[in-house]
Amino acid sequence: MKDSLVTDDMQNIVGKVMRESVSHPVSTSDIRKWAISVYYPEEPPRLFWDEEYAATTTHGGIVAPEEFNPFAWSTQKPSLDEPKVSGTAFSERELGIEPPKYKAILLSEIRENYSDVRIRPGDVIRATHRITNYFEREGRMGHMLYTTLSNEWHNQSEQWIRTTESVFIRY
Amino acid sequence: MVIRNTQDLNIGDELPTFIRKGTVEHWNRFAAVNDEFAPHHWDYDVAKNEGFDAPFAMAPLQMSFFNALLRTWMGEQGRIISLSAKLKSPFFKEQTLVVTGRVTELQILETETYIDIELMQADTDNKTVAIGTAQVALAN
Repeated sequence: MKDSLVTDDMQNIVGKVMRESVSHPVSTSDIRKWAISVYYPEEPPRLFWDEEYAATTTHGGIVAPEEFNPFAWSTQKPSLDEPKVSGTAFSERELGIEPPKYKAILLSEIRENYSDVRIRPGDVIRATHRITNYFEREGRMGHMLYTTLSNEWHNQSEQWIRTTESVFIRY
Repeated sequence: MVIRNTQDLNIGDELPTFIRKGTVEHWNRFAAVNDEFAPHHWDYDVAKNEGFDAPFAMAPLQMSFFNALLRTWMGEQGRIISLSAKLKSPFFKEQTLVVTGRVTELQILETETYIDIELMQADTDNKTVAIGTAQVALAN
């Protein structure tokens, strides 16, 4: 195997909070658009777009699909006018560490755990990101660095919403 | 088909398939809501430079397809507890993705039944694109 791409500096940030993001209040329109885009070209379930119908369900109103992302485009924290440290899903630069050079970054595995608390219009979601693991393998694309990113979400009432572990490959 | 009664469930039950073609019209919509514009999803040259034959779908969209498969089968009463997926090969543009699921375990509790499901995505050539597992809960 080639020399490791994981430096001591990179090992030292494993488990540390890399970023905290706070969403804008989720709007019904955000939820509708997400559902329409996922189910396209078919009509999404009414629970995600029809307020009158959703009010008659056990949910009592519109809720977001489990995988809905309230952090797209813009967040309260970091705000749009703060300099972007990373143009990709994450970067060690967010903790002041120089990442290894790579030509591609891909998502290879996702592990989701959901609570029974759903995201609703008006919710403000806080996400805490950490790198939790590095490992390396030789693969079809050569020497590949795998990085596990953990992302834990809570709502404005500090209720846990979901935890996502994403494994990224860089080569 | 939506499951109406957990007593009707059996190990080996197949979930109704969820099928989508990899079209620009679909992927653009998802890119717009997820702010996801990595060039390898639409630019052939970038995809080729990264070692792929063609642009390929966004992983979060593929995860959404697994979620949608489960929701369509469970109906609104069900809840997804966990969902894991490994992306084995890309879902290339213009391919058709067939998303399937099969019940592998039933755990009947006092008020709910926990259901383990094996998941798969395959392309037009029946090549495995993603595999996964999920656990969902339905009220008894």
